[in-house]
Amino acid sequence: MSRTEQAHRYSETEEQQALRGAVADVAAKYGSGYWLEKARANERTIELWAEAGALGYLGANIPEEYGGGGGGIAELAIVCEELAAAGCPLLMIVVSPAIAGTIIARSGTDEQKTAWLPGLAEGTAKLAFAITEPDAGTNSHNLATVARRDNGGWILNGRKTYISGVDESDAVLVVGRTDDEQTGKLRPALFIVPRDTPGFDWKPIEMDVIAPEEQFACFFDDVELPAEALVGGDVAGLDQLFAGLNPERITIAAYANGIARYALEKAVAYANERQVWDVPIGAHQGVSHPLAEAAIQVELARLVTSKAAALHDAGEARAAGEAANMAKLASADAALLTLDRAIQAHGGNGLASEYDLAAYWGVLRVARIAPVSREMILNYVAQHTLGLPRSY
Amino acid sequence: MKIAVCVKHVPDAAVTKRIDPGTKRLDRSGEGSLNPVDANAVEEALRIRDATGDGAEGEVVLVSLGPEKAIDSLRKALAMGADRVLLVSDPDAAGSDLVATSSLLAKALEREGADLVLFGQQASDSDGAVLWAAVAERLRLPLISQVAELTLEGGAVTGKRQTEFGYDVIRAPLPAVVAVADSINEPRYPSLKGIMGAKRKQQDVLSLADLEIEAERAGASGSRTEVLALSDPPPRGETRKLEDDGTGAEKIVEFLAEKRLV
Ligand SMILES: Cc1cc2nc3c(=O)[nH]c(=O)nc-3n(C[C@H](O)[C@H](O)[C@H](O)COP(=O)(O)OP(=O)(O)OC[C@H]3O[C@@H](n4cnc5c(N)ncnc54)[C@H](O)[C@@H]3O)c2cc1C
Ligand SMILES: Cc1cc2nc3c(=O)[nH]c(=O)nc-3n(C[C@H](O)[C@H](O)[C@H](O)COP(=O)(O)OP(=O)(O)OC[C@H]3O[C@@H](n4cnc5c(N)ncnc54)[C@H](O)[C@@H]3O)c2cc1C
Repeated sequence: MSRTEQAHRYSETEEQQALRGAVADVAAKYGSGYWLEKARANERTIELWAEAGALGYLGANIPEEYGGGGGGIAELAIVCEELAAAGCPLLMIVVSPAIAGTIIARSGTDEQKTAWLPGLAEGTAKLAFAITEPDAGTNSHNLATVARRDNGGWILNGRKTYISGVDESDAVLVVGRTDDEQTGKLRPALFIVPRDTPGFDWKPIEMDVIAPEEQFACFFDDVELPAEALVGGDVAGLDQLFAGLNPERITIAAYANGIARYALEKAVAYANERQVWDVPIGAHQGVSHPLAEAAIQVELARLVTSKAAALHDAGEARAAGEAANMAKLASADAALLTLDRAIQAHGGNGLASEYDLAAYWGVLRVARIAPVSREMILNYVAQHTLGLPRSY
Repeated sequence: MKIAVCVKHVPDAAVTKRIDPGTKRLDRSGEGSLNPVDANAVEEALRIRDATGDGAEGEVVLVSLGPEKAIDSLRKALAMGADRVLLVSDPDAAGSDLVATSSLLAKALEREGADLVLFGQQASDSDGAVLWAAVAERLRLPLISQVAELTLEGGAVTGKRQTEFGYDVIRAPLPAVVAVADSINEPRYPSLKGIMGAKRKQQDVLSLADLEIEAERAGASGSRTEVLALSDPPPRGETRKLEDDGTGAEKIVEFLAEKRLV
């Protein structure tokens, strides 16, 4: 498929199509060679992040008044997809501009917006996002990280796990709980915790995932925070947290869609060229049909991803929630299917380092688990879309 | 400082080029894009505009002759940072050859009265590498072509011109016409803001009548060349195919020795 065919011409604006082309051009300069070199050496993709940031691509969804592109998640998803399609999936897009950027733009105080949004817009500042705890991953009702009021500020205690990119972020947006003064009940609240705050400790978790980002276990022991660390001040509620979840799902879907396109393109090139009998292997339907099926699944996943982005950007939170969940599941499934089939089409070469293919399996496999597992999406669709009873 | 950049919308590099046997012209129906070296000309213009720092007065105008859909390519150059577009588009201009094209462009450029007119060295579709010379001649302006380095000083432009054996350094008073080589710079990628703002920039599409050009001076009737016939290049002589069974290198050396090439 040519680049313009990758754009959904019927639904994407001229600017969105131009953005696709521009991001693809920049990403092509880096490619899988760059990304894998960084990933294998456990280094960060600093150069690509900086260039994409300076061009404003990473801040596509940040409001214009704070130096961002003033676009929506649709634009950020395009950036995320095109980078991944060139073999350069950047997980921190999902975390920093998509989640943290959306939350701060929507419910941060003016001071928080001024402090963070211009940096997020240019990619010069990065925020990690921490919700998962050892006993609260799928079940976020169990969140045990608690902030209590102290001297006009806060004291934060708790633990987080599998938090991406803490080492490369300026601060972590931490989901905890505070006691509501009126009801006395604990309610969720978000805190901005700078990386070097005393009492905040973080350690890398060894993962069998080849990626230029790392995950960390985070420990908060009597971390003293000023009152301003609370996102949105005292008025913000649960809504602010949920505001970031659809962008997260949509951009992770775009990330998977991009990797799927990358794998498919490699598979097609190889199947056109490799000859085992008297024709290129792509002439055997045993090779071509699995790839054709994969192409169809990827295209469907891309469609529901654009739908979710469009709904989100139109402010249709509820409908966007359903579409974003569907997009995340469909994209992860389609991409894993595609990568598997691309590897199969390559024979033994599919697993050789030289072919830059199997190395993407880990980062793609994550998309079935994080930010919300496949099972929980099926639970959501069963209950909310279909109206079936809840089992847990 | 006002800089005009002549840019061409050409068939995209990914599209297989085909000559329509009926019209004997290049089939331009497929996807198009900005002529690659014209992006270098745009880049150079932007650098000059931004370096001369006369802020509000500095302007980069894109001038093009082409079909309406040429606007797609022009938008890319606008997204890079050019200020506005002047596209000459008219059904009567289709099929213009070098003579006609140069006269239409010269007319449009006269209207702009730029201090500096930049061209790309050559168009990737018809590869003439000559249009700038014809335009400069019509405008009676000095011309420096194949420029790999450009400097402006004291109302003059100096171009370091790549030649087969080294460089020529040529200075010309402004206004002047300069055709740039792709070695002159690395064109920037359009920023997100550039992309989002491109559509809102001034884009004038002028017909031949708007430019006060009689239709007879354009298109086929304004052209002095006529394509009489087209034919495929002669097939290559007999080719020999060597299978590399481990002795490939030796066989090639043997072949070259046979031809007395080594
Ligand atoms: C590479 C990577 C990066 C990550 N980055 C971040 C990050 O930056 N920030 C962050 O906060 N978190 C991050 N996470 C954590 C991620 O969001 C969690 O791993 C995820 O939400 C699942 O939670 P869990 O691991 O605790 O699984 P668990 O909750 O222990 O679930 C285990 C399994 O049980 C299934 N299950 C549980 N309940 C049900 C049910 N009712 N019905 C059916 N099945 C059920 C789940 O689907 C899952 O398959 C990351 C994880 C990974 C692997
Ligand atoms: C009989 C005949 C019919 C033709 N019909 C057509 C036709 O229908 N459509 C068509 O596009 N060409 C047509 N051509 C070709 C056309 O004449 C050439 O495109 C033109 O003379 C420029 O030459 P070139 O493209 O080789 O440019 P070059 O001399 O290689 O170009 C050098 C630079 O000139 C500038 N430039 C070139 N073309 C334009 C332009 N149109 N507008 C602004 N700047 C430009 C660019 O900066 C470019 O880098 C025809 C030619 C003949 C002989």
